[in-house]
Amino acid sequence: MTFAELLQKDFVFFDGGMGTMLQANGMQAGERPELLNLHNPALVEKVQRAYVEAGSDIICSNTFGANRVKLAGSGATVQQVIPAAIGCARRAAEGKALVALDLGPTGQMLEPTGSLTFEEAYDLYAEQVEAGKDADLFLIETMTDLYEVRAAVLAAKEHGGGKPVIALMTFEHTGRTFTGCSVSAMALTLEGLGVDAMGINCSIGPDELYPVVEELARWTTLPLLIKPNAGLPDPVTNQYNVSPAEFAKSMTRIAGLGVKILGGCCGTTPEYIRALREAVSGMAFTPRQVQVPAAVCSYSRTVVIDRPRVIGERINPTGKKLFKEALLRGDIDYILGQAITQVHGGAEILDVNVGLPAIDERDMMVRTVKALQGVVDVPLQLDSTMPQVLEAALRVYNGKPIVNSVNGEEKSLSTVLPLVKKYGAAVVGLTLDEQGIPKTAEGRFRIAKRILDRALALGIRREDVYIDCLTLTVSAEQDGAVQTLEALRRVKEELGLKTMLGVSNISFGLPNRELVNHSFLLMALQNGLDLPIMNPNVASMMDAVRSYCLLANIDRNATDFIAAYGNAAPKAQPAAAPGDMTLDFAIENGLKQEGARITRQLLEQMDSMEIVNGQLIPALDKAGAAFEQGKLFLPQLIQAAGVAQAAFGEIRSYLTAHNAAPVNRGKVILATVKGDIHDIGKNIVKVLMENYGYQVIDLGRDVPPETIVAAALEHQVKLVGLSALMTTTLGAMEETIRQLHVNNVPCKVVVGGAVLTADYAAQIGADYYARDAKESVDIAKQVVG
Amino acid sequence: MEVTLTHIDRSQALRYLGYGTHAPDDATARRLEACEARLLSLMRPQYIYRVFPLEYVQGQPSLTGCRLPLEGKDIAAHLSGCSHGALLAATLSASVDQCLRQAQATDMTDALLYDALASAAIEQVCDAAAEALHRAMPALYQTWRFSPGYGDFPLAVQPVLLDVLDAPKRIGLCATDSCLLTPAKSVTALIGLSETEPPKRLRGCATCSMRDRCAYRGSCAYGTPPEPIKEDAT
Repeated sequence: MTFAELLQKDFVFFDGGMGTMLQANGMQAGERPELLNLHNPALVEKVQRAYVEAGSDIICSNTFGANRVKLAGSGATVQQVIPAAIGCARRAAEGKALVALDLGPTGQMLEPTGSLTFEEAYDLYAEQVEAGKDADLFLIETMTDLYEVRAAVLAAKEHGGGKPVIALMTFEHTGRTFTGCSVSAMALTLEGLGVDAMGINCSIGPDELYPVVEELARWTTLPLLIKPNAGLPDPVTNQYNVSPAEFAKSMTRIAGLGVKILGGCCGTTPEYIRALREAVSGMAFTPRQVQVPAAVCSYSRTVVIDRPRVIGERINPTGKKLFKEALLRGDIDYILGQAITQVHGGAEILDVNVGLPAIDERDMMVRTVKALQGVVDVPLQLDSTMPQVLEAALRVYNGKPIVNSVNGEEKSLSTVLPLVKKYGAAVVGLTLDEQGIPKTAEGRFRIAKRILDRALALGIRREDVYIDCLTLTVSAEQDGAVQTLEALRRVKEELGLKTMLGVSNISFGLPNRELVNHSFLLMALQNGLDLPIMNPNVASMMDAVRSYCLLANIDRNATDFIAAYGNAAPKAQPAAAPGDMTLDFAIENGLKQEGARITRQLLEQMDSMEIVNGQLIPALDKAGAAFEQGKLFLPQLIQAAGVAQAAFGEIRSYLTAHNAAPVNRGKVILATVKGDIHDIGKNIVKVLMENYGYQVIDLGRDVPPETIVAAALEHQVKLVGLSALMTTTLGAMEETIRQLHVNNVPCKVVVGGAVLTADYAAQIGADYYARDAKESVDIAKQVVG
Repeated sequence: MEVTLTHIDRSQALRYLGYGTHAPDDATARRLEACEARLLSLMRPQYIYRVFPLEYVQGQPSLTGCRLPLEGKDIAAHLSGCSHGALLAATLSASVDQCLRQAQATDMTDALLYDALASAAIEQVCDAAAEALHRAMPALYQTWRFSPGYGDFPLAVQPVLLDVLDAPKRIGLCATDSCLLTPAKSVTALIGLSETEPPKRLRGCATCSMRDRCAYRGSCAYGTPPEPIKEDAT
């Protein structure tokens, strides 16, 4: 019997709770159940046999937490526990049931909220899968983080010898997991990754789960597995509140949604499974009729391509000096700023291109994707000409992205499309091939058709192929625009595909580019454009999209239009702002935009260093002094720093545009020490230091001593700043200082953090103790100058 | 269990921000209010607790049927006279971490305000949990909340404590390798339950092992010794 054969039956039955049964047999709370596979296999076998006798077609190995991290210190290894667990299950099954290797969460949160990296999580699962290869299938369950599920699914598919993989997540009644993953995002992502079945387990009882299952059933064509809890446990008795009969009755409703595989989770016992089996015995399975729409998603936000959706084009160094410099510096914050600004402007998807000859694009892409998905929730479009960069990005992307792009060349089709299929992305097909871009609409249409056929042959859904008919510069080929629009219309109408177009290129070399872009965008929308790639921060472009949606009756009741323009009253200016405002006034009053505006004006009149030394720094010093005297509080000081930061941004743009060297008083390294993940204090220090013109090399949080030593040597800094928030991580701070000394790094060390004192700082060998961010700047002035 | 907070204790947040008893300027006050509203709308606070009977061997307590070790003299002192111990875990949810990351990438002042508000909010969630515990066991008095890392009660118990409560599964709360809680704005604690009113032990700074080097001394949530929760058993 195989899993595929089992699916031919009307219904398939999983087992119920394992922990529940073990605790009923005397296991203590907090004990590692997996160790019983070694120490008391008879008990494990007894529980599993009871499930087989109750009618479970598939039973799970007792391996929910059998990973290296959770077993650490137990004296047992993954390689001992998992084969023993499979052995127990096999003996209990006696060939009457299949055995699934049970894979639960790692027990740690993944980046960015936790400190476990995606790659580490993948390794943990790969080790478990290798140890449990003898199982008939893999069950990934009780997951709340889509990122972790992706790590587990990839490990099971890449190490599991092609055996079936089922993935289940745990939802609250709100239809979200604890980490904010939505039902649709789970379904789109996991179906894309090619699991064999998916579903929901744990968390709540079957009745509360019903609407969530209903939602899931609409988002996937795959078989569903639902394993609810027997309600909720009592905090005193730990007894669950739904009886076997009630559970079985509720599960018949869930089966009625077209759910093929049924089972139980916490609090359920063989009694529940028996009752469940009997309750659905008279029912026939009704297959679901599902049409999953064209859609992409991050872990928390799904964008259905059922109307024009704007893709932000600004994360791309082409023709952008500041962006190029940021990439060379490895300045992720700059990119995050670009992303957030575009999302505020109205972008619903962001294109991400970090290709620059001088940098390691693959590494930069991975870092950028990880950073972006930590702060914005819009789906990403991964944009690179190099397949290895695309694959690295696809691996770490937490959702269903768009790949930009494949084209009609054989080399591109054969390298990019398999990646799209493997990682379950959507893909942009460019209508060009070995012969270049066809001049005619017919030529481009034929390439679009060829790309579609190849994608379909690989098993990529039609809904996941978006065609870009390519915008050519109208000043060079005036007849080109019409051909592009005609090709777009035919791709949309005849092939039924979603369409994409970079719009801004059309006006290159012409005056009044914005007008041309705006008009071309409207024409393209009228011809069926779904995904304009454009700058969402150009008001006239967003205006065009919104008014098109209004006039084409897409924006029903003008909801979005009114939301965007209904309250467009001019923003009130602060009453106290004088007409001839100074930079000092702007900084003191936290007026960011004014500060930037004044700086731009000043740059026309005086040297940038004069602004920095004559205006910015004195204003900051004044704020700092007021803070020290208790006249100003931390939020106000940081607000002042924010204005100075904006002013500095203006100075940097100016200097870059004039090819002048940036303001730089010297480099400082900042890091939150190993083991500590609270970094807001360090980030505050960073803002202040940058305001004073120091180039801060921010190593981030949870930074090992070795990394800090290496960076200090590489950059030859005079000052290293270390922060720690917890008493438990002070040891890591001490160790870092020790290693800096041992390696004779010629730098001073300043330390800070809530739990530190001057005495303690001296005791661990720090040169300076900074009580607050202001003091750390004073120390930098002393040490760096 | 879910909790819905309708407001966040802004005066507590202001204390975290270093205002002491000073009132903030109008602009900061408005900004704090806006941050409070956004934080309330995006966080999904959860808590979970489980009660175990206490046993004593030579004065050292242990939780019956639970593998969590209660080592050290401070936890023993905290629980003295108690018949039960309640393990508590509470979190504001990962969405708050996301909000803090976003704010740090856009506006550090907002980040600072969110951070302080979130610190105040998690205490309110713990208060709500303690109230729920009181409703469940109205006849028993509660001690204040004693967390791993206080006194000589080691932070290293964090993973077992979370395991016992099934906290990763039930409320999405985990610990890192270095035993720090994730999501960041979370608390774990042990509350003693006693049939008789526990002595009014000082809590907070006086018993805190970090008292000599803590920048928040006197202004943290544990700074003022509270009354033990006392309502008539009805």
